[in-house]
Parts: sequence; structure tokens; C-alpha cells
Amino acid sequence: MKETKQQTEPIINLVNISKTFDDGAQILKDINMYIRRNEFLTLLGPSGCGKTTLLRIIGGFEEASSGEVLFEGSNIAKLPPYKRRINTVFQKYALFPHMTVGENIAFGLQIKKVDQKTIDEKVAQMLELVNLKGFQDRRIESLSGGQQQRIAIARAVVNEPEVLLLDEPLGALDLKLRKGMQMELKKIQQKLGITFIYVTHDQEEALTMSDTIAVMNEGRVQQIGTPVDIYNEPKNAFVADFIGESNILQATMIKDYLVSFHGVDFVCVDTGFGENVAVDVVIRPEDIRIVKEEEGMLKGTVESVTFKGVHYEMMVKSNNYTWAVHSTAMAPVGAKVGMVLTPEDIHIMKRG
Amino acid sequence: MDKKRLALPYVIWASIFVVVPVLIIVYYSFFDKGIFTLQGYKQVLNPRYLGNIMDSIGIAFISTVICLVLAYPLAMILSSKEMSAKGIILLLVILPMWMNSLLRTYAWGYLLQDTGVVNSLLSSMGLPTMQFLYKKSAIVFGNVYNFFPFMVLPIYNVLCKIDKNVIEASYDLGADKFTTFKRIILPLSMPGVITGIVMVFMPALTTFLVSRLLGGGKTTLLGDLIEQQFNKTGDWAFGSALSVILMIIILITLVFMSKKDSFDKGGGLF
Repeated sequence: MKETKQQTEPIINLVNISKTFDDGAQILKDINMYIRRNEFLTLLGPSGCGKTTLLRIIGGFEEASSGEVLFEGSNIAKLPPYKRRINTVFQKYALFPHMTVGENIAFGLQIKKVDQKTIDEKVAQMLELVNLKGFQDRRIESLSGGQQQRIAIARAVVNEPEVLLLDEPLGALDLKLRKGMQMELKKIQQKLGITFIYVTHDQEEALTMSDTIAVMNEGRVQQIGTPVDIYNEPKNAFVADFIGESNILQATMIKDYLVSFHGVDFVCVDTGFGENVAVDVVIRPEDIRIVKEEEGMLKGTVESVTFKGVHYEMMVKSNNYTWAVHSTAMAPVGAKVGMVLTPEDIHIMKRG
Repeated sequence: MDKKRLALPYVIWASIFVVVPVLIIVYYSFFDKGIFTLQGYKQVLNPRYLGNIMDSIGIAFISTVICLVLAYPLAMILSSKEMSAKGIILLLVILPMWMNSLLRTYAWGYLLQDTGVVNSLLSSMGLPTMQFLYKKSAIVFGNVYNFFPFMVLPIYNVLCKIDKNVIEASYDLGADKFTTFKRIILPLSMPGVITGIVMVFMPALTTFLVSRLLGGGKTTLLGDLIEQQFNKTGDWAFGSALSVILMIIILITLVFMSKKDSFDKGGGLF
């Protein structure tokens, strides 16, 4: 595994990237961000948020309407994809159907005129890396989706790119296979020390694999940070809602360390919003504790209970707001309950 | 079982109108008035008739090559997504097929004759007039004109079906446009190319319409020769023998072509 201190140096800088399609739809709006060497960065967002377009701009398949793509400091915005030291794992694998597995992996090396002996060695190495030893002569259509995905990864990685772009590579796989591949991808990334830029709409996948997550919506980056930061300190209501389930409420910041909603003042840990300012409050369902009605800071009625395996998901109606609550203890439907919130679980956000 | 029974009408149809006539022709090529003879086949070896056969193959071959060279770039342009006039051009390619080929070929005969429209235009511009008709080149022209859509459409179909991601993957792996064409697009389009070749070569080889109307009967092709034996000289044994040889040439071409088409992704028409 490479040392994490190397991660500090940016390898790609995106400067004022905007993209408007011919039909006038503005898909990216002034994106500014950088990707550090050897990090696993995920572009996360709902479909249509512009994440795939951004990836295609980095790969060279799409040209930005304005802005610069800096690769190790030099602008590569006009460079065609075949001149970039970047490789891509495509959403639907895009393997060459008229070639064998071995020929697919060897393609990039053949273009670079690497000698046959080295090619054979590297192809064998790659097949071992993706756990498909001895598959050289198999035909592409004889492989399962998961196997094709591994070959697509091997075909890209064998070129030893500085940056690997992955466009929802696990989208077509079933849940169990996807979980396995997530771990494998992470392992491959750490083993080879390649910068990964990963596109997904699956927040759980993003939280599991990434060093850094950039949450995107409507053509803008909403927040960049570590998975823990993004989860615990969402910057706005969109991020909070998109990353995991959330209760988002309108509130008033009375002063530092004190916020009021639903007619109750709560102690919190946030400062610097000013006095008597309208804000949004995010409370994660798992951070709410269900207690007896008289012990609760808020009181409500249980409207529904769903068993989710590890916990119960309860909907609790209080002050005309329905709270999502995750708890291992169950209160029956119709029960009057109290809810307790601890200061560090109340996340304050500026009103969007 | 049920599906097999549904195929029965077609089996009967094909037997009566395809298999039986072919067998009858094979019979006539060996039997003259009930007596076994190889006279029909011996006549084929006559240098004059061998020359006709070679002419037929040559003209069909050249027509096919010209169609391919013209059709591939057009199909590529049509299949690119930037092409906005795609529908109109495709319509223009298909439009002539809606008209009877006999009429179209007749029309070209009038246009190209010595006192025809093309020559009138040339002389009105002060250019020397030319003889277009009654040459092998006129037959090739007629073939290319008549069979061009059969080359464009299968290639266009196959090119449209190529996953754009596969082409992007090639660029991504360092291949420039030419290498991508050579190593990805061309091999993936081969089924369409082969279908196109078969669709043009077969009718070009067997035509007697084009050679009659544009070649003016000066160049005798296999099709003309067969037609003459049945309609004029009444030498059924020779005519049948020629037909059998024509079928064999076609079968050899088909086998050869289907071998080349090892990557079976379906060529759009077969």
C-alpha cells in the first residue's frame, strides 16, 4: 500500500468547468475542484446531475464549453482521449466483442508497440490480479457480467494509467456481486496506487469505497469531503437527504449553541450562524432515542413500524412532522413516545 | 412441435417452386430426350462460352468492388450521429428501389444513348459527345446503379449497431482514429460487408436485363447465354448445364463468404 502522504499533491485540477449541450441544457455549472494523486474520489449524485459528463470531460470524450482541465499543471482540455494518460472503465464494460479476453487486455499495449513477450506476461499478471487466471483464450460473450467487468478493469489497468475513470462500473451487477467487487476494486486501487475517479449514484457504495466524495446536484458540486464529513456534517439539505436517510427541519438559530424548532430550544454544538437566523436542521434517524413519553424532549405518536433486519424503522408523528427513527427497540403502532436528541447529533445547515 | 407444423406451408411452397424446378434443371442438364448425355457440359468448355462466363464473373466482381468502395464511406457518414440530413440521404438511397428496375434501366438507356440527354448536355456545353452504351462499362454502371442500395443498407445497419462505447474504449486505450477504424470498426462491420457483397454479386452475376438494355447485346453474359438457350436455340441441355454451373458458382461464393464471416453477429439481412 502506498503511503497516504503522497495523497496531498493534486494530479487533476478542474477550473471553472461549464458544459452546455447543443440543445441549450446546461449540465455543468462552473465546477472547481481538484483530485489528489492516489486518492479514491467518488462523484456522487442522482442521475442527470452531470457526474458522468464531468467524467467524460476528464477522459476527453466530451469537451467542456468553458474552463480548464489541468493534468499535472498543464491544460489538457483540447487533447483527444488517446493522448491522455488516463484510462476508463465503461458503464457497460465496452469490451471488444470480436477479440478474446487476452486480446482485449493486450489491445492498449499493442498500440504502444510493447513486445509480445512483455504483453503476454502483463496479460497473465492482470488476469491474476482480477482473479481470472487462465481466461486468455475465452470469448467475451462466454463470460458473466461480473467476469466481463473484471476484464474491463484489467484492460484499463494494464496500461498503468495515472488516473483510472470508472463510470458506474458495478451498476449492472447484482447486490452480492457488487459488494464483493467493491472490496476488490478498493484493493486493486491500493495495490496499484492509481488515482481512481469513480462515478456512482449509490451513496452506500460511495461511503464504502471512497477517500473523498464529491456530492453533485444540478450541475454543481454541493460538497467535497471525506465520507465521514459528508455523512456527519452535510453542508445543505440536498447532501443530507441524498446521503442516507435524514430528518430535515426548518429551525431558528437563536444564538451560538442554541437552536429552536417545534417550539423547543435545543442545545447544539454549532456556532457562527448569527442570532435569530433561519436555518435547516438535519437529524439522522439512528441518532434519535425513543424513550417514555414524559422523558422525551419531543412527544409523538408511532404511525408505522417496519422491521429492517438490524433495526426497526418507525415513523413518529410529532408537531405535524413525521420523523424517521431507526432503533433496535420497538414501540408499537399508536404508542405515545418521547424522543431524545443529543447536542452533537443536531446538525445545523445554512438555509439553501 | 406446433411451431414446426406452422412451417409446413413454407416447406410445401419451397418444395414446389424451388426444389423441384432445380431438380428438373439438373435432370435436363444430363438428359436429352431421355438419353443420358454430357453434351451440355462439353459445350460449356467451348472457349467462346468460357469467355462469356469469365466476362460475367469479371463484370459482377468489378461492379461489387465499386459498390463497396462507394457504399462503405456513405454508410459510415450516415451512421455517425452528427449527421442531421441522415433521413433524407437514406431516403434518396432507397427511393430508386420503389421503382421497377426494368423501367429504371430503360430510362438510363435513353439518357445515355448517342443522341440522349447526357450527350445533348455535353454538346450544348461545347464538349465532345461520347458513346456510353454498348460497352462493358455501361453494364458495370447499370449494375452499380441498380444494386448500390443492397450494399449500403446492410453495412449501414451493422455500423449503427456497433456500441459507441466500444469505439470510445479504443480511443481510451490509445488508438487513434485510423487504428480504431482498422482494428475495431472494420472487423465489427464485416458481417454487413459480406451481406452486401453477396447481395450485389449474386444479381450482378445473373442479370441479363442490364446487359441487354445497356450493353446492347454486344456483351453476352451468363444470364443472356442461358436465356438464349431456352428462348432462341432451344438447346435445353446446354442451358440447363449453364444454370447448374451458375448455381455452383453462387454456392461456392456463399460458402467462401460465410467462412469469412466467422464473427457471427448477424449481418442485418441474413
